[in-house]
Amino acid sequence: MSTILSDELLTELIAVGQVDVLVGLPTLNHSDSVGPVVRAAHVAFNRELARERTVLVNVDGGSIDGTPDIVRDASIIERETLVASHSLRTRHRISGPYHGVPGKAAALRTVFAAADLLQARAVVVLDPEIASVTPESVAALARATLASDVDFVSPAYARHPLDGPLVTQVVRPLFRAAYGLALQEPLAGEFGCSGRFAARCLEQPAWESDDLRLAIDLWISGMAAGGGMRVSEAALGPRRLSARPRPGVAELVPQVLDALFTCLRLHESDWTARTQATPVARSGASGLAPDAATSADGAGYAALFREGLEALAPILERALQPSTLDGLRAAPGQDGRVQIPDGLWAAVVRELAAAHRHAAVSRDHLVRAAVPVYLGRVASFVTEAAGLDPFEAEERLEALCREFERSRGELVALWTA
Amino acid sequence: MLEAILSTLRETWSGYVEGLRLVIPRLLAMLSVVAVGWLIAALARAVTLTLLRWLRLERLAERAGAAELLRKAELPPAERLAASAVFWLLFLGFLLAGVDALGFKTLQAMRAQIGLLMPRLVGALAILVVGLVLANVVRRGVLLAAVNAGWPQARVAGGVVHFLTVAIVAAMVLDQLGLARPIVLTAFAIVVGAVMLALAIAVGVGSGPLLRRLLEERLAARARPESDGSSHL
Repeated sequence: MSTILSDELLTELIAVGQVDVLVGLPTLNHSDSVGPVVRAAHVAFNRELARERTVLVNVDGGSIDGTPDIVRDASIIERETLVASHSLRTRHRISGPYHGVPGKAAALRTVFAAADLLQARAVVVLDPEIASVTPESVAALARATLASDVDFVSPAYARHPLDGPLVTQVVRPLFRAAYGLALQEPLAGEFGCSGRFAARCLEQPAWESDDLRLAIDLWISGMAAGGGMRVSEAALGPRRLSARPRPGVAELVPQVLDALFTCLRLHESDWTARTQATPVARSGASGLAPDAATSADGAGYAALFREGLEALAPILERALQPSTLDGLRAAPGQDGRVQIPDGLWAAVVRELAAAHRHAAVSRDHLVRAAVPVYLGRVASFVTEAAGLDPFEAEERLEALCREFERSRGELVALWTA
Repeated sequence: MLEAILSTLRETWSGYVEGLRLVIPRLLAMLSVVAVGWLIAALARAVTLTLLRWLRLERLAERAGAAELLRKAELPPAERLAASAVFWLLFLGFLLAGVDALGFKTLQAMRAQIGLLMPRLVGALAILVVGLVLANVVRRGVLLAAVNAGWPQARVAGGVVHFLTVAIVAAMVLDQLGLARPIVLTAFAIVVGAVMLALAIAVGVGSGPLLRRLLEERLAARARPESDGSSHL
């Protein structure tokens, strides 16, 4: 632990003493968005969590835009805020990861080590890029652990079924089928957990692996599966991201797929052997947003799918089974619309996952070749959901998850082949 | 007359049989050398493969990034590649020894010339292998980037880059072998210069407005992946 925490932070933590709730905030150049997040945490400390001993630990990756100063200035009570920095290896700065916080794994490790040292009963990790964070949402992530011995609290947002297709079409169903954990947002960068959960995570050897660099959010969610952990979801209302440049689809999809498949590899001994699902308790209904935040360009995606499938066939042939590839080739109809049914999509995702596991083709090439295929599925779902109301579309997403769960045996067989 | 024909035939056939009597043992010797060489090379390949697997070369290649590079170039794993190299080196050695066993002076002279060329040949082979690997990696990289950027004719872009890389590699190989060096260099410079000049004239002068209009129409009509993908998360 002493190697995780710097001497300076260790001294400050010892001065703070034992706490009930520790809020961790990993940052790197988030001066534009971190202020409201810190203020929300401090309002929660003084209102919803007024009876608890609290501390906010900001672990900064070496911001050059004054983020740590903004964190200090936004703090209502200075004693409740600790700012620590951790060294960031140069390669973490090359491209911004999907979660927007390079070096987040090292930052979370520091947060968990601090929580372990302070014997925190509840740990809340906030994402500086979520602009919709409120004191109530901070408290909601802490309350479940404080009140009912829950080990891991994942956020549930009120979103339209067409929002976040990378989550709804790929991450959520595959994560649910593999881990047996029906989380709405397995990729979320914010969560609550118990001190026990933090200590369990700290014990894992995966921290030493470079694989956690991108996969940290999913890895944390995956740690909640099995091991007797109690899991719940907290409804946090609508989700709004801070306005800042983010990777485009061509960069985002490979990053998330790589993270997802890497995470499955890191946890493979657990999820391939699991025999039952982990129940998820829900506090409050997350609800559905009546309108999609953005409208996906179904026709444009369909064109990219057709051209991409043809051009990248030599790579996909090495990852997908002939019947699956034939199914994809038959997906575009005469009218230019693409139709990729749930069963075919489940086969595509599990075969891509297995090809990534066995390195049947360059992993970098594999996840990049999957972009047009993903866009094809999004086009297919957009077309299908066009005539449905949000609740019916949500039902379709649930059916997709069930299809993935139904074919879990095939996923395990391919993975362990 | 008949006697003369029979005599000629007898002489011809006896000469032919005599020739066969000389050649067949040498041919059998060569075949035995090649066959034994093939067996030894195959054995060496198996031993090398087992040894490298035991030494966990795969893990080392994975850590060093070589495994990923080989996958990108669609080549077999490092240990299989090394074992294949051992096989072919040994087998080629035995093949040359087999040629010696034939005892033909022309072939022996050729073998001697190959022996003299060997250092250059090995260098050229190394350039060829590395160059082709690189060309494959570059082609794949360009193809993937072009497809995901929504470029029209992504495969053409990948193919052109691959062709240019292979052309550069071929020029380097011929230069290394020292084969008609001035011709190769001049031809290469002329071809590259001509292609670039033709492109410049075509795009800049001849069909500039047409190309611009075509590209504008083409790019405006097609969807491009968003610059901000956050709505997908």
